[in-house]
Amino acid sequence: MRRRIEIGLLYSRSGSYALISEACRTGALAAIAAVNADPEMDLSLVPVERDPGGNVDLYAPLCDEILRQTAARHVVGCVTSWSRKEVIPTLENAGGTLWYAVPYEGFEASDHVVYTHACPNQHLLPLLDWVFPAYGRRAFLSGSNYIWGWEMNRLARETIVTAGGQVLGERYLPIGTRDVGRMIEEIRATAPDFILNSLIGPSSYAFLAAYRDLGRTDARFTPGACPVLSCNMTECEMPAMGDESEGLIAAGPYFRGAKTGWAGAGKFGSSHEAAAFAAVRELARLLNGRPGAELEPLAKLLGHGAGGIIDRQTHHTTLPVLIAQVRNGRFVVVESQAAVAGDPYLTHPRVEARAPGLRVVS
Amino acid sequence: MKRGLRIQNLGGARAVILHRPHATVAALTRQLTAIGLVVEQVWPDLGAEALAADFVFFDADTGHDAQFPWGPGESPIPMIALIGSEAPGRIEWSLQLGAHAQMLKPVGDNGAYSALLIARAAFDAQRELSAEIAELRRRLDERRTVVQAVMKLAARGKSEAEAYAQLRKMAMAWRISFEEAAARILGGDGGADDRRNRG
Repeated sequence: MRRRIEIGLLYSRSGSYALISEACRTGALAAIAAVNADPEMDLSLVPVERDPGGNVDLYAPLCDEILRQTAARHVVGCVTSWSRKEVIPTLENAGGTLWYAVPYEGFEASDHVVYTHACPNQHLLPLLDWVFPAYGRRAFLSGSNYIWGWEMNRLARETIVTAGGQVLGERYLPIGTRDVGRMIEEIRATAPDFILNSLIGPSSYAFLAAYRDLGRTDARFTPGACPVLSCNMTECEMPAMGDESEGLIAAGPYFRGAKTGWAGAGKFGSSHEAAAFAAVRELARLLNGRPGAELEPLAKLLGHGAGGIIDRQTHHTTLPVLIAQVRNGRFVVVESQAAVAGDPYLTHPRVEARAPGLRVVS
Repeated sequence: MKRGLRIQNLGGARAVILHRPHATVAALTRQLTAIGLVVEQVWPDLGAEALAADFVFFDADTGHDAQFPWGPGESPIPMIALIGSEAPGRIEWSLQLGAHAQMLKPVGDNGAYSALLIARAAFDAQRELSAEIAELRRRLDERRTVVQAVMKLAARGKSEAEAYAQLRKMAMAWRISFEEAAARILGGDGGADDRRNRG
């Protein structure tokens, strides 16, 4: 008789980032199915779902509902950093744990959160290292007006200036706006070597479309001359972008078809899906064969799980670093580096990232 | 451009927590270790370990001056008060001791990182200001020395302009600064003493 363990899912299935939520949810459900079919496991996971519908104010109450009304102590969920920050006090109060499967801006290591996607030393810093010799050090920084855009661009500016480069412009747009005209004008006027795109959702899609148009009339702004870089774009948002993403360069731990061994040998639609899958598989591994472990706080649970993927101090994971470009509608890996441990506060020297990695010629 | 925070410097930095063994110490240690610091807990006194530390977290509730190897307001490193009781007397003591930032007890899941950055920035700003004030004070005092030296030379029958020119020539001949020459005229190393007498 397998132990029946409830597990919370807290994803917004509507709203501006529903595509990302759906990718994560798909990965989590796939892992639950895999665990439940695994004869090595003494447990069955039962999903308990709540849907905040993209409303940031519903995350804390719904997380609280999962933790109080069901037996679930572990919740897989949240897409934006804002929603994650909202649920942390709830997790603290109830002794719950959030498994967060989305790239983020770092500078957090909660005792109640596991971070299974990339932080800046796993996406932004390797991406900048790669782009400098390939395209140059004169940057334009764009972002949505909230923590992800602000912090990514702050770190990018620091890194670029330290490397002797220049930031030619930095512009933020309100979340949700499609009004990118002024940003495009500034890019045309400053002619940078590359653009770091930390916009999210509809703003990002509108920007990519407008920039593609600019490239059609001015050769200085084609992907070969001045590419758009992203640290959060994956296949899961391609349906919203269509052809407009052609030439986009993104960093991430996985792109469709990549064989890095991360998150098992599974075939995932995107790194979001893979990261959520890895989260649930790891949780199941930690609980397997240990009745009652599902009620333990995270620190105690990790204390028993030798050989796991989660760093006991930072609760981040070691991830491959891939850089890929959208070519003919799909991400093609152009650079593959050795896996790097998450360093959320950037307080450890970046030796691993500088080691020569495998270069994929395509 | 505004000066950025030097976040990379925190890796391997040493923090001393001056607090009796307590859940707050455990929670704070967890946070600091996750950030990348090396942490040591001490109680009841801050001893030699403070010399090798980069940050001191201290208990504001039961703390007192004699726990510290330096006088109030003289800490050579940033200090962060751990405040449980928000009684004005305890806050006053923390300020007099020279807290650069604070965290409220009980310490939970977060707050250490911003306390570190704010304490470091406040400490640096305070030190910069102190250095600037000392420099301005020195120059102000030297101006007095110069005026006194010119008056001393003028008392020998020169005009003020002539005395000024003579002082300049002496400084050039002695290959020392204008202010140092003025101090020498006032009597050996007497410049500093002279300042103090008139201070």
